[in-house]
Amino acid sequence: MASVTDRDTTGGGGDLRRRLDRLRDFVDDTTPAALATIAVITVSLLGAFVGFLLVSPLTVLPFGAFLLASGYGWLRHQEETALVLTLTTTVSTLFILGLIIVFIFVEAMPVVRYESTTVFGVTVPGLRMFLQANWDAVSPPIRYSMVPMIHGTLMVTVIATAVAAPLGVSAALFLSEIAPATVRELVKPGVEILAGIPSIVYGFIGFTVLSPWASDQFRVSGQGTYLFVGVVVGLMALPTVVSVAEDALSSVPESMKSGSLAVGTTDWQTMTSITLPAAFSGVSAAVLLGVGRAIGETMAATVMLRGVPRLTEPLVNAFYGQETLTSLIARNYGEADGLQMDALFAAGVILFVTVLVISIGAQYIEWRMRRKLGGEA
Amino acid sequence: MAGATRSELVESETSAADAVAAGAVGLSAVLFALSMLALFEGITLSEPVAGVPTVTVLGALLVVLGGAVIAFGVGSRVGLVQTNPSSSAGLIAASVAGLSWFVVAGGFASQTLALGTVGGLLGGVAVGGLAFAATVMTREDVGSTVPIGAIPLLIGLVFLTGLIGPGWVWDLGWAQTASFTAEFVIPVATLFGVLFAGWAAAKAYAGFGARGRRTGAFTLIYLNAISIVAVLFILVAFTVVQGVPGLLTGVEFGPGTGPQTSLFGVSFTLPLSVPFVMNGVALLNDYQGVLPAIVGTFWLVVGAVVFAFPLGIGAAIFLTEYAERGRFTQVVEVATNGLWSTPSIVFGLFGFAFLVPRFGNQKSLLSGMLTLGFMLLPLVVITSREAMLSVPDEYRDASAALGVTKWETIRSVVLPAALPGVVTGVILGVGRIAGETAPILLTMAGGTFVPGGQTVDVIGGFVFTSTPPFVANPELLQATSALPYQLFALITAGVGLGSNVADPEGFRWATALILLVVVLSFYAIGIATRYYFRSKLRHE
Repeated sequence: MASVTDRDTTGGGGDLRRRLDRLRDFVDDTTPAALATIAVITVSLLGAFVGFLLVSPLTVLPFGAFLLASGYGWLRHQEETALVLTLTTTVSTLFILGLIIVFIFVEAMPVVRYESTTVFGVTVPGLRMFLQANWDAVSPPIRYSMVPMIHGTLMVTVIATAVAAPLGVSAALFLSEIAPATVRELVKPGVEILAGIPSIVYGFIGFTVLSPWASDQFRVSGQGTYLFVGVVVGLMALPTVVSVAEDALSSVPESMKSGSLAVGTTDWQTMTSITLPAAFSGVSAAVLLGVGRAIGETMAATVMLRGVPRLTEPLVNAFYGQETLTSLIARNYGEADGLQMDALFAAGVILFVTVLVISIGAQYIEWRMRRKLGGEA
Repeated sequence: MAGATRSELVESETSAADAVAAGAVGLSAVLFALSMLALFEGITLSEPVAGVPTVTVLGALLVVLGGAVIAFGVGSRVGLVQTNPSSSAGLIAASVAGLSWFVVAGGFASQTLALGTVGGLLGGVAVGGLAFAATVMTREDVGSTVPIGAIPLLIGLVFLTGLIGPGWVWDLGWAQTASFTAEFVIPVATLFGVLFAGWAAAKAYAGFGARGRRTGAFTLIYLNAISIVAVLFILVAFTVVQGVPGLLTGVEFGPGTGPQTSLFGVSFTLPLSVPFVMNGVALLNDYQGVLPAIVGTFWLVVGAVVFAFPLGIGAAIFLTEYAERGRFTQVVEVATNGLWSTPSIVFGLFGFAFLVPRFGNQKSLLSGMLTLGFMLLPLVVITSREAMLSVPDEYRDASAALGVTKWETIRSVVLPAALPGVVTGVILGVGRIAGETAPILLTMAGGTFVPGGQTVDVIGGFVFTSTPPFVANPELLQATSALPYQLFALITAGVGLGSNVADPEGFRWATALILLVVVLSFYAIGIATRYYFRSKLRHE
């Protein structure tokens, strides 16, 4: 605990100096031959990366040099090479996230510029995508509004959360607190397999069975309803909620539960007044992550929805399913080019940013909970 | 002795009342099953059961159920039944009662009495508030039975009087037309009434109080767990039943029936022919199949694992063994978790913008492999890290005490100990990406039907060239199919399918079944590995 506070109080400058010191120590401790190998590995890999970015056929040369240098280093200086290679893989994970951000944002830029609008004399790029609800890629005026798709995603997500949150939390409670060991060993893999069924299979069953049934039941013209897409997506988000919430519930220290049981409460009273409140933030992080899954679900929505980028009338009409952000991309990538393709990237940016914010929020909540429980235990 | 006699009397008294409560719970279960059947058209509402219309039967059962619950509560209040109720039913029961009465009264006031939205709101709030107050203010035995038991009672009376009959329709009057029909409302209303009554009856059965609430809550939680497993079972069973006929068309046994195969240079003929998984699509085929898609999925998974496995393990080693916990590891952790929850279609867009222009400007197997590899990477990092963190520090200390270097310790102590966890995680992750459609849609997938001659042959495809990059593999650089994409293409192709396959519907279901089998076998292997290693750890 002490070392953590130490690091927190040292400012950015001290941190940097310490890191430089460590680097100098490392250079001092390492033989020149090993250092040279490391340098060759680093430089050749950077060269290969730059070559790949520039779409150069010569990329293979630095990449070959990298392989050779790593092979040599592995034989002669295994200790140092292993360190450098594992560091490289770690950094490449960060790079992939960075590349995703750069590429989808860059591709979305033209349509953001096209859809700029002037408010109080200030030109705001991309604002028109959110101010009017008309998506028309064919006949002028050509407009790429995101409003109908955001509405669709919102409808599906709300319905999916209403399905996944209560059922998921209750199933997590069952698995972590109530179920006897043998039942748990049966139900837990079941929940995992539910997560494993491919989304296109869910979509196919929804398309062939649920959609015709729903339009018959509700006297709806045509097929495809937000209501049942939401239910199917909720079912798909359920395993995420269950597994994360279960982790949170079982991380509540046993001593807290025993203390409650020892004063003579029933196990249900212990759950509602000790376990659930203590794990509340973890459980809400589970629901948040389930929401993230629901927002990003693509194939079931694509197959079951109508594919007409329009708002439903009235807005709360969940019996008609038009289009979500994800299904817009999956349905239109084929014939789209130019500005329309860029508009699909804009939809991707909205999805990516929303889900990333949700993910970081959930991690923050979980981190706070771990710290709280860790401090009390 | 006197005490013993008295307790005997009490027991006989409660067992009669117990029977009422237990009967109510059992009746709830029967009605639950009936309403599910009605919802999915297993029984038709307009057709009579033993001469009595189905709606009337449902209504009568609901009235009996609601009446039993209320009678038990009132009986307990006046002292006929021995229970230990708390002083109030609590806020949860009150909210449930208030909310459902709000819906019932609001709907009745705004639609049946035509008072409009405001009238509906006012009526709903008034009655809902009354129900809430009635639940909170009275002793638990009355509070948790009367307001909640009155709901199934009311629903049952509505059905009995024919206010909502089999022909009932409520047109919502929206611009895009939609209506609530009796086929939907009757089963769903029954379902809710039954859930409420079953909950109250379960509480009553255990004599209210803390034990009663425990029983009530556990009943609902068990029901939920059973439903989840049931849904899973129905989904899988349905796909199997629908898919098997298509899968088995034209199956032949016996020597010499199968296609010619060569393995390690030895050529032989399989004694079994399953055209659906052994053929491509060709004009002259007797039976069409999805072999190219199966092979495509196989190579896709291999490529993704080859890319993601070393990267992920390396990153996990660095994060757990080398790096000090600090800002850098925190950033990497947040980034990997962020990558893990990134929607799959965004990976597809990224592959389309980043990889496709770099591999010959067309969709290719290689782009698909790398895109799925990007998706798999965060999972490999997360699971490997968890597995390495769970290796006890004593192992590391013991190894370091022998004087070996850090890397030696990692290689010969940490990695072997963490391997089971890593392998299990990777297998489960592979199961997940094998079923992904969205990323390969934009980066890899070609036409709806792939001829059998275009089945990818990655190993045989490598050729050396004199210009950089000196090695080429046209097989890797062309579009191909994979099972999930194949299913998507079959669904969207719709009617146009008929000219290619004799039985389009059977062909689709068979594809879905094969996909499910491939993906779930990864899960089965992963889960089995976990049990194997866990039981091994327990024995040693």
